[in-house]
Amino acid sequence: MTDPIKLINVSHYYSQGLPVQVAAVKNINLTIKAGEAVGIIGHTGSGKSTLISHFNGLLKPSEGTVLVDGEDIHKDKETLRRSRFKIGLCFQYPESQLFEETVAKDIAFGPGNMGLSDSEIALRVERAAEFVGLKRELLSKSPFDLSGGEKRRAAIAGVMAMEPEVLVLDEPAAGLDPRGKNEILRMIMNYREQTGSTIVFVSHSMEDIAATAERIIVMNHGEIALEGTVDEVFSHGESLRTMGLNVPEITRIFMMLRQRGIDVPSNIYSVEEGARILRGLAEGRRG
Amino acid sequence: MVRDITFGQYYPGSSAVHKMDARMKFVLTFGMIVCIFVCRNFFSLGLMVLFTSAAVAVSRIPLKMILKSIKPVAVILIFTGILNIFYTKGGETWFSFWKISVTEKGVYTAVFTMIRIIVLVIISSLLTYTTTPTMLTDALERLLSPLKVFHIKVHTLAMMMTLALRFIPTLIEEIERIMNAQKARGADLESGGLIRRAKALIPVFVPLMVSSFRRAYELAFAMTCRCYTGGDGRTRMKQMKLGLRDFIALTVCLAVLAGIITLNHFFPKVI
Repeated sequence: MTDPIKLINVSHYYSQGLPVQVAAVKNINLTIKAGEAVGIIGHTGSGKSTLISHFNGLLKPSEGTVLVDGEDIHKDKETLRRSRFKIGLCFQYPESQLFEETVAKDIAFGPGNMGLSDSEIALRVERAAEFVGLKRELLSKSPFDLSGGEKRRAAIAGVMAMEPEVLVLDEPAAGLDPRGKNEILRMIMNYREQTGSTIVFVSHSMEDIAATAERIIVMNHGEIALEGTVDEVFSHGESLRTMGLNVPEITRIFMMLRQRGIDVPSNIYSVEEGARILRGLAEGRRG
Repeated sequence: MVRDITFGQYYPGSSAVHKMDARMKFVLTFGMIVCIFVCRNFFSLGLMVLFTSAAVAVSRIPLKMILKSIKPVAVILIFTGILNIFYTKGGETWFSFWKISVTEKGVYTAVFTMIRIIVLVIISSLLTYTTTPTMLTDALERLLSPLKVFHIKVHTLAMMMTLALRFIPTLIEEIERIMNAQKARGADLESGGLIRRAKALIPVFVPLMVSSFRRAYELAFAMTCRCYTGGDGRTRMKQMKLGLRDFIALTVCLAVLAGIITLNHFFPKVI
């Protein structure tokens, strides 16, 4: 089976040919396999957003090739257009893309561009709204009347409704309160479980990445600095710190506990898990 | 892309032209533009070209930037050139074919007009290259302040202009962002006829309007929070002061004007 996304030696320069030429990403070799949940993490300006803009051909690489399902995405206009629907890209603060009269119509924009039948579109809108937990009565409202969190969900639903093979989300939880953030993350995991689609998730929050991704790609100065499973990447705590990143706080606490000779696992990434282990430890000591 | 527009962009530097008082620069630019149209023959126009080259040299703006500023008017240049060559008749006929003929006067007029336009563009872009938009509107406000007598809100107008200029890059960025988001949803912004294309822009312009209004509201709020109440009683951080440099520039410009008038008088007119 061909991989949904494959980048071969991709570099992208801004202001190419001018003295101020900057390499936003350079020599990226990357494969996203079908069904994976990949987290892309990096400091601000590390090239994360530039990288994902190559996935659906919004940016053309200055050098290198982008393959979607084994086909060069920039081969012709038709391939490019098809790739846009295969790779659903949801940008940061996607609520700024809402424009239609009603939420339902806005969610239908993507599927409508795919040229689907009305009944199919209606079905997809309903399904997408369900995934993001938008109540039915909101669908007939104007998107501008929704609350901030609801707008975000409606916008994500707009990308989900295209039912892409790969859903790429750039900081889907940015600017939301902790509760809204958890809901969005849970919603994405739920979507993945039900549809089995591939997820690429961009964030600079280690906690969020640890909670959602199986494989992590760490970007630094436009290059892939680290790549591997969550355990593998977080075991490089020191080099992550030099890139302005860090392991999740709870992981750091467990690492410090280990340093003090307390026998706890080092691969703890969520507070719930950590709490469970500490509770077990305390009970064991009492008993 | 939209980002490549250079006309009206500041090019940082510390040359004498950069340091000149923006008011004087404004007045002199205006004056020199008038001078371009005072020129009647190639000798006076030559003086104008000389002056412009000298000004560019003093400003130390790279030649590449100057050429970049001419690029947007290239079409207009070619168009006026062609029109003048074929439609101005007079003097010796140099070339003739069917109904088309090229005369001595036609060629002279075409060349003359084209040089005029080029000089005009260079002089005006020199002003914007060497003066920040803020300084420019500040100068405009000061220059127009006598209009206050007629109850024209000069300060408000200048502030609106400053803000509008300030938000151009922000809006360009915003448009690109929204366009990308809609393209990712399969919006086709590049093909189809005029009506289809105009329709395709709705998903871009509706969010743009919404965010612009939000931005305007937020900005007004932020300004109010910093006690902005309009122009009355407002003092400036940078006081404008005319210096020796400004008077030298004024003298040079007056000399050029005098030269142009003299040359116009002694040589036969072309246009």
